[in-house]
Amino acid sequence: MTGKKAVTLFVPCLVDAFRPEAAEAVVAVFERLGVAVGYPEGQTCCGQPAFNAGYRDEARRAARRFLRLFAAAEAVVCPSGSCVAMVRHHYPALFEEEPDWRELARRTAARTFEFTEYLVDVLGAEDLGASFAGRVTYHDSCHLLRGLGVRLQPRRLLRRVKGLEFVEMKNADCCCGFGGAFSVKYPDISTALVADKIAWIQESGAEAVVGGDLGCLLNIEGALRRRGLPIRALHIAQVLAGERFSREGARP
Amino acid sequence: MSGVRTERYVEEARRGIADPVLRRALSGLQERFGRGTAEAYRRLPEGPGLRQTAHAIREKAIANLDLLLERLAARIRGNGGEVFFAATAAEAVSYGAEVARRRGVKLAVKGKSMVTEEIGLNPVLAAQGVEVVETDLGEYIIQLAGETPSHIIAPAIHKTRNEVAELFVQKLGIPHTTDPPRLTHAARRALREKFLAADLGISGVNLACAETGHISTVSNEGNIRMATTLPRVHIAFMGMERVVARLDEYEILLRLLCRGASVQDIGTYVSFIGGPRRPEETDGPEEFHLVVVDNGRSRMLADPRFREMLSCIRCAACLNVCPVYGRIGGHAYGFAYSGPVGAVVTPLLTGVRRGRDLCLGETLCGACKDACSMDIDLPRMLLELRALLAAGDASWGVEPTGGLEGRAWKLWAGLVSHPGLYEGLLRAAALLQRLLPHGGAGWIRRLPPPFSGWTQSRDFPPVARETFRARWAKRRQEAGRG
Amino acid sequence: MAEGRGERLFFETLRRALGRPPQATRPAEDLFPQEPSAQDLRLLAAVSGRSEREREELVARLFAAAAPLHLQVEAVAGFASAREIVLRLVAEKTPEWGGEKQLVAWRHPLIEGLGLTEPLARQGIPLWITHPLDPGLAPEAAAEERRRQRSRIAASFIGVTTADFCLAETATVVLRSRPGEPRSVALLPSIHIALVRRGQILADMKELFALLRWEERFRGEGLSPYLSFISGPSKTADIEATMVHGAHGPREMYLLILPDETPDAPHGRPAQTPSSPEAGAA
Repeated sequence: MTGKKAVTLFVPCLVDAFRPEAAEAVVAVFERLGVAVGYPEGQTCCGQPAFNAGYRDEARRAARRFLRLFAAAEAVVCPSGSCVAMVRHHYPALFEEEPDWRELARRTAARTFEFTEYLVDVLGAEDLGASFAGRVTYHDSCHLLRGLGVRLQPRRLLRRVKGLEFVEMKNADCCCGFGGAFSVKYPDISTALVADKIAWIQESGAEAVVGGDLGCLLNIEGALRRRGLPIRALHIAQVLAGERFSREGARP
Repeated sequence: MSGVRTERYVEEARRGIADPVLRRALSGLQERFGRGTAEAYRRLPEGPGLRQTAHAIREKAIANLDLLLERLAARIRGNGGEVFFAATAAEAVSYGAEVARRRGVKLAVKGKSMVTEEIGLNPVLAAQGVEVVETDLGEYIIQLAGETPSHIIAPAIHKTRNEVAELFVQKLGIPHTTDPPRLTHAARRALREKFLAADLGISGVNLACAETGHISTVSNEGNIRMATTLPRVHIAFMGMERVVARLDEYEILLRLLCRGASVQDIGTYVSFIGGPRRPEETDGPEEFHLVVVDNGRSRMLADPRFREMLSCIRCAACLNVCPVYGRIGGHAYGFAYSGPVGAVVTPLLTGVRRGRDLCLGETLCGACKDACSMDIDLPRMLLELRALLAAGDASWGVEPTGGLEGRAWKLWAGLVSHPGLYEGLLRAAALLQRLLPHGGAGWIRRLPPPFSGWTQSRDFPPVARETFRARWAKRRQEAGRG
Repeated sequence: MAEGRGERLFFETLRRALGRPPQATRPAEDLFPQEPSAQDLRLLAAVSGRSEREREELVARLFAAAAPLHLQVEAVAGFASAREIVLRLVAEKTPEWGGEKQLVAWRHPLIEGLGLTEPLARQGIPLWITHPLDPGLAPEAAAEERRRQRSRIAASFIGVTTADFCLAETATVVLRSRPGEPRSVALLPSIHIALVRRGQILADMKELFALLRWEERFRGEGLSPYLSFISGPSKTADIEATMVHGAHGPREMYLLILPDETPDAPHGRPAQTPSSPEAGAA
């Protein structure tokens, strides 16, 4: 690597509101790697919830805001597969009929990376010097896996964490049933999906399930907690940044 | 079109989820086929990229559909066959019914055909006194049970051997057995009589080739070969999009069809039919009719958002990987087509507003796209359907959703555009959430409507007292002071 | 059926949906090439230039593909050993639907070469040989003859056919229907035996379609009007996903591969093989 890298952080709305320590963990990882981290204030949401619900004008409003905020960024890094998939795949389509915005969307799409993808593919970093005691399994979130094709990167990173015993669960790539508004509007189907996911996590014998999309993790953790199961659901950044970020006490 | 029950998606899904037998059957099916399909694509000599080649072949075929259909029809007519172009389901059905009437048909044997389910052929034939027998074993079972198919390739996946045993004892008068080979043999015997006595054979079309002027059918059981060989009249029904220009292109599609449908290199029987038997032949139908069905397909063709759906060859690979289909089963989709393909094609054929739950009731996980033998972007079209519902669309006769939902999203857009307001709301939520029943670490036990669906089975996370935005601001302040 | 108003409207709607002028049609030569492509020529060359060793490999591939399909393949040395296999099956197997043992076979030199008539006659087992319909027959007489042939086919527990081609890759036999070679002989009897010459084995569908599209000898007949691929016995997994052979079609299938030259042939006539065009003229 030549020259100091700088990343501009986009913190997804769910992380911001429900798991800020995951974003802090991302910052910590980059700082340890000597990568400068910028965080444009005034960021909110990439627009994905509205887009998935079919409300494209509303999604475009959020997208314009995002594009303006990140127009100057060298690399936008985001700890969420689905937000990056939104920017990478859907932004250019959203502005199909507005050439200026479309151009900006394309440029931004090419510079936006998911956290683990950026670490492994761009920085070439795998051993981050982290340690974590316990058996961990990984849940492939749909948009990270199928939308961005990120499968090996998080696994490589996890395998280099000291003390961490990595186990694959059955059907790691099967949807957990989150699906945004789907989880609220179609609770029976969503519940059936997460129930299976939980069973597979349990079968794996893992003490923690790790993933790259907080939506899935909250869905999984919500179901784990309802069942009173002592399995934790952690964002991968929390594991990679060191134990301080994955402790229950990390919450303010 | 009769028998559309798309508005009962939620209710039927709940019923499917609650049925342990169905769940077991579906998970078995998905475990066998889901992974196997991906593996079968990888093992193709051309690699999984052949799906993209197939996609291009289908796109070209659809873009030249008029020319391909003209060529196909001219060839079949040249061989003495008859071709009828039906604009609607009603036209297609009445053509078939008329042929049956003219030829004095009493008994018709049918090979599995989704398009005849779509157009509602059986009830009309039955009403004019024709006994219509489904001959695919799975279809036969559900016909005896008075049900509808729940999977395109494995229609009776929801039936256990015990249920089949009961049914056969009752309807075929056989001694009780739950042994699949014996049950199969009982059906073989009963259906053989039907095949030999039938006046009319009805089939669908898996793929047609314009260059040579053939339709083709694929089956493992041999029922379609029976139904198209033994009766004196054969009528084949085909969705107008199921044609491809050339035999070399057909070859690629057939290989992908067999892999996508059942992880096979090839189905046991593939028959190419280009017309009736020749005068010196001793068997084969003396009359051959091809009914080409539009029934709403031209509307999809005209809309660039949905034209891609016409590339579908109904292999059902998407059903075998769809996590939602795997939990709710095929009946929830309320029409002939189930799973991801049904979620897109059914609303487009039978009404988008009516089928809104099919458009919205998926997680957009994308497994269907990866499994699709024709590499069709099904999630993209689900998103288009959702956009169409939200904003309305005159060409599809859909009013905008509007109402509370529409206003809520406008409000949302306002919030995310005003970070101050947005942050304020999060702070308010962080305070107010304490009023809700909560458990460990502040996780909420019960949310009020319209969010109560989440807490039906899951705790909901509390909003952090300090968002990342707030923490970052604080950190910068500290850094500034330091 | 004449092309009526409905059909015109159908195509008008279709063209409008395609964004074309509703009445306009255009030449379609670009969609249906008149000359073989480079790929087609490569395939044709592969078929005609196949070496002895490559042919052996194809046989091996055929065996490998057939095994999981329950298709029993035997490479026999000549007619005598093929006959032995057929007679053994006749002796060992019982008719599925009861009744006396009867066989039905296409009238074809390769099947005549087996010399089944005499040994079966000695055992009192009828062997029905199919034949084309006399075009001069009155309609009722033709219908009667068709009925007679069909009831014999349906009553036979073994049906013997040849095949036009065999595809090694998928263990597929390719049957084109011709007068005198009824489709149902490979369908109604419980056991189907197919006989081919080794030279009739192609690698795969690609080669087959290249031949059917571009090789003069096959082009005329094309696929018309009926052609079928059969890859093993009939099967189903519709009851609890349990595989059962013999759903509607034959429950057992045998493929006997004869060498291209069979000195014990009664007529000494080699089969017409795609890889040796001169043989067809012999």
